[in-house]
Amino acid sequence: MMNPADTFRQEATDLLENLEENLLELEAAPTDRPKIDVVFRALHTIKGSGEMFGFSELAKFVHHLENAYELVRSGDAQVTQELIDISLGSRDHIAALLEAGQDEDIISQLVQSELHSTLLQRIAVLSGTGDAPAVPAAEADSGDTKSAAALVEYTIYFKPEESALRNGMRPDLIASELAMLGECTSRVVADMVPPLEEMDPSACYLAWELTLKSDAGREKIDDIFLFFDDGDIRVEEKELAAPPQDTVQSAPAPKAADTAEPADTPATVEAAAPSAPKDAKPGGERRPEAVSKVESVRVQAHRLDELMDQLGELVIAQARLNGIAERLGDGALGSATEEIERLVTGMRDATLSIRMLPIAGVFGKFRRVVRDLATELGKDVSLTTEGGETELDKNIIDRLSDPLVHIIRNAVDHGIEDSETRIAAGKSAQATVSMIARQSGGEVHIEVRDDGGGLKTDMIRKRALERGLIDPDAEYSDEAIHQLIFAPGFSTAATISSVSGRGVGMDAVRNFIEDLRGAVEVKSETGHGTSVTLRLPLTLAIIDGLLVRIGPGDFVLPLASVEECVELNDEETQNDRHRSIINIRNELVPYLNLSEIFGFERRADALNRVVIVNAEGKRIGLMVDDVIGQHQTVIKSLSDYHRNVEGLAGCTILGDGSVALIVDPSALIKSFSNQFREAA
Amino acid sequence: MDQVVEMQPRNVVDGASSAGVAADNFMALTFDLNGERFAISVKHVQEVIDPLEMTHVPNADPFAPGLINVRGAVVPVLNVQHRLGMAASAQTPDTRFVVIEAGSYDERTTFAIVADSVHEVLEVEPAQIHPAPALGMKWPSAFIHGIIQAADGMIIFLDTETIFQAPTAL
Repeated sequence: MMNPADTFRQEATDLLENLEENLLELEAAPTDRPKIDVVFRALHTIKGSGEMFGFSELAKFVHHLENAYELVRSGDAQVTQELIDISLGSRDHIAALLEAGQDEDIISQLVQSELHSTLLQRIAVLSGTGDAPAVPAAEADSGDTKSAAALVEYTIYFKPEESALRNGMRPDLIASELAMLGECTSRVVADMVPPLEEMDPSACYLAWELTLKSDAGREKIDDIFLFFDDGDIRVEEKELAAPPQDTVQSAPAPKAADTAEPADTPATVEAAAPSAPKDAKPGGERRPEAVSKVESVRVQAHRLDELMDQLGELVIAQARLNGIAERLGDGALGSATEEIERLVTGMRDATLSIRMLPIAGVFGKFRRVVRDLATELGKDVSLTTEGGETELDKNIIDRLSDPLVHIIRNAVDHGIEDSETRIAAGKSAQATVSMIARQSGGEVHIEVRDDGGGLKTDMIRKRALERGLIDPDAEYSDEAIHQLIFAPGFSTAATISSVSGRGVGMDAVRNFIEDLRGAVEVKSETGHGTSVTLRLPLTLAIIDGLLVRIGPGDFVLPLASVEECVELNDEETQNDRHRSIINIRNELVPYLNLSEIFGFERRADALNRVVIVNAEGKRIGLMVDDVIGQHQTVIKSLSDYHRNVEGLAGCTILGDGSVALIVDPSALIKSFSNQFREAA
Repeated sequence: MDQVVEMQPRNVVDGASSAGVAADNFMALTFDLNGERFAISVKHVQEVIDPLEMTHVPNADPFAPGLINVRGAVVPVLNVQHRLGMAASAQTPDTRFVVIEAGSYDERTTFAIVADSVHEVLEVEPAQIHPAPALGMKWPSAFIHGIIQAADGMIIFLDTETIFQAPTAL
């Protein structure tokens, strides 16, 4: 069980992420009512929960921003560029406060920082509350337009849910919050305390009857109880002074499943609930504030990793069991083993699917990156995304941000021209960076495309010559030259800006992606833009493989790339040793002799089977000594001693305990493709 | 199948951490390669096991020819003889794999080296270690930490920092 404060931090982090996205959308469409409501609600939730879990400085700060949005909601203010700027700045500051957790030192540093006071000052100016940013939050504030000054006596019946105390409810905090609103007295209602033998020591059986005299307005009270809507809350009001506008006798406790939405009384304006489903992205982004408790469970990532490890071991043990069953040839054992295999496969798929997340979450972050970069560089750039619903293993998603930031920075800094140049070239003044994700077989492709000037082939060639990366006498295609941007230490930027030009970017990207067993490619057309594509495996942990024998050892080919297996007859093999082409149904397919490439002696019993794989869109044969069969494989990565060996993706342990190497067909073909050129 | 050889220090009762070892003294595992005696600090040694069947990694550096399965973990096998410029020796009944864990806390690598035979665990006093002579050594000095003068002859004390480095890192 996580402690409630940690849960809050996680949820608030999610909310902040969504907030950023919504703010950027709001920037594009400042009059979007539902969007304004979503922003307001996110702030409101962060404030409320923050207060509840002891993040009081954070709650105070958010409160001011929330007020600014309250004015927008009520129509007394507009969404302006200034508001968005402040909001984005505040969002980062809130994230910092959240990060600080309960560390008093850091919090007081943050609160005393210039940024803190500047932001509050700017918010205050916007909210028209002048220059009093230091006012402590909730209590002193009466900027709420509708609450007027009518003194009302509220009688509040509050019965928290039985599990409330276990979940971290702090009755004392509620009391102190109420006390801030006015004179408050309370009486305990203990009718529901069960007989001793039925008593659960951690459950809350008590209820309270509270009497509050306050002019703060009903909304303030609802706010305090906002997060206890699982319990029983009844509020009655009685005007003590000033004539009523709306007399509300009693309202049932809000019971909505939607966490942050109190059921409305006529006097309140919290009518934002219907907006949530409407603005849900087709990409299926997670919107924690709109997800009900039934639909999702929060699990710590390392538990998933543990589950995955265990499953990996299970797959290996199951392979061993298969081997034994086959050897014994017992029918009953065989069918039981098959059943287990089927179940393990199902379990593997289910577990993997738990770890799959839509890529939209990663994409979302980049709107801010692009916006800030464009502002910094004085360029006009918009970001479009496509295929955000494409799913990828969480572990891969978590590690994609950094390489994508590099690529986007390169695109905006180097790729995209300034507006004048663009107009002169007959393009639209606003440049577009697109992020496109799509699934292709066992891989996910993520493409970052810009419509800028394209790679400067001549500059790259010149730089490569200077660095001795290419042979001055040889001819290189433009495409080959473009790939040089991935070479270590390569950068053509004339100056080092804070954005890029340190020459570590693309090289680092390539290493990063290769560590994920992926690949990266660049395509560029002068004047029309550049496209960088990351090709990533769907998952890191387990693949279906084809077990083959080559020389003395067993190897695994990823089944996702295998198309078919064919047999070579002897005449064909003996004729050509290096120029190897096989005729399959009148199609000529080149093939590589793996035992030759691997430097193994030819086995006397070799069968010369050829496995046809699809690599880089081409059909290519890999000749092996024998095809053994399908095999579910847990991928273990190779150590530093073998990471640079060409054509290998990793290794695995087989049922008999021996180690088998996993072949990476694409890499293998790339490394040894000179043999194909000879053949052509 | 992988029988673990107990490593009992010769000069002390309890082992490396015991009070019987003087403050600066340390324990070293000695083993033979091509008739020469070598030592590595015992603090990196996990276990000594009987040889396991090795999977050859095609086109790998001769220093790291293959992989073995040590109780579910895939462990690379390193050929120290190759690094020291010595000829490889054939496997005999005395051949042992020494499983070693090296590196810093967050970047530990486990690997195995092949020894013609494993000799003993020896307590070494710092005074017994002499710098390797600049001349007259047949081994690359980068891999040698020093020479231990032991009762029964010279032992070449390998530098664990360098001798096991991946070929690309050199």
